[in-house]
Amino acid sequence: MPESHDRPAEPVTDWPCFGLGGAEKRDRMLAEMRRLTAHHRAACAPYRAIVDKLGFANEDRIAALEDVPFLPVRLFKRQRLLSVPEADVVKTMTSSGTSGQSRSQIFLDKATSALQVKVLSRIMAEVMGPKRLPMLVIDCRATVADRYRFSARTAGILGFSMFGRDVCYALDDDMTLNPERTRAFLDKHAGQDILVFGFTFIVWRHLVRALEAARETLHLDRGILIHGGGWKQLQAEAVAPDAFRRGIADVTGMTRVHNYYGMVEQTGSIFMECAAGFLHASAWSEILIRDPVDFTPLPPGETGLIHLLSVIPHSYPGHSLLSEDIGQVLGRDDCPCGRMGTRLRIDGRLEHAEIRGCSDTFAA
Amino acid sequence: MIPLPPDIALAQQVVLGDPARLTNRPAPVWDPARMALLADLSRTLLAMPAARALPDVVTFAYWARAAHLKALSREAAHPDPPRVGLGLVFHICPSNVPVNVAFSMAFGLLAGNTGVLRLPSADSPTITALVDGLAAVLARPEHAALAEALLLVRYARNDAVNAVWSARADGRVVWGGDATVQHMRGFPMPPRAREVSFPDRYSLCSLKAEAVLALDDAGLEALCGQLYADVYIMEQAACSSPQLIAWVGDAETVTQAQARLWPAFAAHVKGRHPLAPIRAMDKFVAACDSALAEDVRAVHRHGNTLYRVDLAGLRPEQESCRGYAGTLHEVVLDSLDALAPIVTDRYQTLTTFGHPRDDLARFVTAHGLRGIDRVVPVGQALDMGVIWDGYDIIGSLSRVIDIR
Repeated sequence: MPESHDRPAEPVTDWPCFGLGGAEKRDRMLAEMRRLTAHHRAACAPYRAIVDKLGFANEDRIAALEDVPFLPVRLFKRQRLLSVPEADVVKTMTSSGTSGQSRSQIFLDKATSALQVKVLSRIMAEVMGPKRLPMLVIDCRATVADRYRFSARTAGILGFSMFGRDVCYALDDDMTLNPERTRAFLDKHAGQDILVFGFTFIVWRHLVRALEAARETLHLDRGILIHGGGWKQLQAEAVAPDAFRRGIADVTGMTRVHNYYGMVEQTGSIFMECAAGFLHASAWSEILIRDPVDFTPLPPGETGLIHLLSVIPHSYPGHSLLSEDIGQVLGRDDCPCGRMGTRLRIDGRLEHAEIRGCSDTFAA
Repeated sequence: MIPLPPDIALAQQVVLGDPARLTNRPAPVWDPARMALLADLSRTLLAMPAARALPDVVTFAYWARAAHLKALSREAAHPDPPRVGLGLVFHICPSNVPVNVAFSMAFGLLAGNTGVLRLPSADSPTITALVDGLAAVLARPEHAALAEALLLVRYARNDAVNAVWSARADGRVVWGGDATVQHMRGFPMPPRAREVSFPDRYSLCSLKAEAVLALDDAGLEALCGQLYADVYIMEQAACSSPQLIAWVGDAETVTQAQARLWPAFAAHVKGRHPLAPIRAMDKFVAACDSALAEDVRAVHRHGNTLYRVDLAGLRPEQESCRGYAGTLHEVVLDSLDALAPIVTDRYQTLTTFGHPRDDLARFVTAHGLRGIDRVVPVGQALDMGVIWDGYDIIGSLSRVIDIR
């Protein structure tokens, strides 16, 4: 029996952040995915063309989450995809993309933008409490000051800044640590929890390594580190999560360390690392793993492409995206930390082989 | 000996051969010593397990065996008056079809030239196998004299090296498409020098629907094998790989023929063709892109093995419409003649199945087509001949001596 595609009676923002499991989570997510698929098919002609012409199930034929049509994340770098009139767009988000490639363009209307904020706030509250905290950014001010260099880093810092107050940048514009400024900030807020935010590779190179090299420490034992973005061009320096946590604890005393996984195409419904060291889907997102060659769904414990579902995207057809990230679902409703829902691991990205074609003698 | 400035000598990595020994003295075309070298290379490659595992290398090895070279030399249209090579030929080899390194080298040698080959900068199992095989063969005493006729080099994009070899070349062979051909035109060669270049081309396949329907199961399987060779061995990256399937027949017959052929073909490909994950993603992204065009009625997906882009009709710029790694565009036509208006000088190979020979001959001659240099049966799209891309390559890389 096809369900109604109208908005559910209970707003999704009332859902418990990590309290939904089993059939309950599945059914709510399925209903939202049907509703969003119907919405985007009706509102976004390119989305409809792809779903219908490629033979994906339409909303009435979606019997399981695995049936939800998916777009490749890369498509947002190639096409302008909107499910609202241009006039309703209040904000356009862009991603940097890897090494000079084109950028994703994500169009937000008021409602989608508000839903992003609400969902992200709920997820953040789980690790830092409901109040804004003094915030230490492990980056330099220039990263956000120069709007012409708007990047994933800029977006991340600005996005997470709404959970902080009295923001202090720990690095100078040449990316060296400024211990005096940082210590003054920490002294000022002594005895309080501190929100610390940075990109994984920057935290490692410009905070941990820099302190080690200078044989110095910071007193951040009340710090809560939120870091994400992976290792990017510093893949050769990448360390395992355990070593990362140890390194942080050794030079800052900080033990509340949370990695997150997310992408600009599904801003808000990020996957946050718990105290047990596992990334979790919240109530508003779900992860499926697909075979990298034929895209068939894989069971927990098998490695494949990450397929992300999010209830947030209304103004653009991004509720179901096939990423180029590789990882696995480790389990569902079974984390020692007590959170319900899916826990996952990210292992890396699809390897980009050379582009073959007739004009590539000199491409390499 | 061809003197090189020291900085150039440093900028290039010599993979095989010795720049100090290189000659620009021509040899006669179809020189027995050079045919023997290639035949020996063929035997050597076929005996190397690493080479035998590579379909493209095996294809070259079969092409270069002694009996086949002998047959080619007999067919060649230049027995008399005598022909000799130009001297030194500089080859820019393609990375999209690595095995063409071997064909380019063989054409140059058989035309009587010394070859300086710039290998693709990206390494590939194909190049490794070819270089290993060639090194083994050249090390044998009977081929020692030919060491001065071959130099394999590799260098990162470097116009100084391009300029130096071009200035010393009597001929240049440029693979790699429009951009590379244009780029190389910027490096002057001596006034007498010639160039054989391979810009971007577009190739297609025409299937006669009633002939496909008339096949028995064995015949259908054979057709699948032939299409597989054309489409998947080079993942449609070669200029002669078909991009478009032009069905000829009435709509109903074509629908039946499609229902018969494509599931069988997808089953044939699955398990044979190892699709790299990044290719699967590229292919899926391209399929989504193509669905946005109004004249695309559907993108039929046989898993990720085979995508078929169903076009409502031929496009005016059909040649810009390519697929990779098993994405075929498909169109239904009343007759071959319907293709004529779209054929430009970009069109290279037409592979065919089920068309009477007379229809084909009439089609390629009656319309004043500016393109289509090859019409071959399905399964032979990638078969490299000494006539290629409209060139008699051996003839183009040699000169005639007029003796009266």
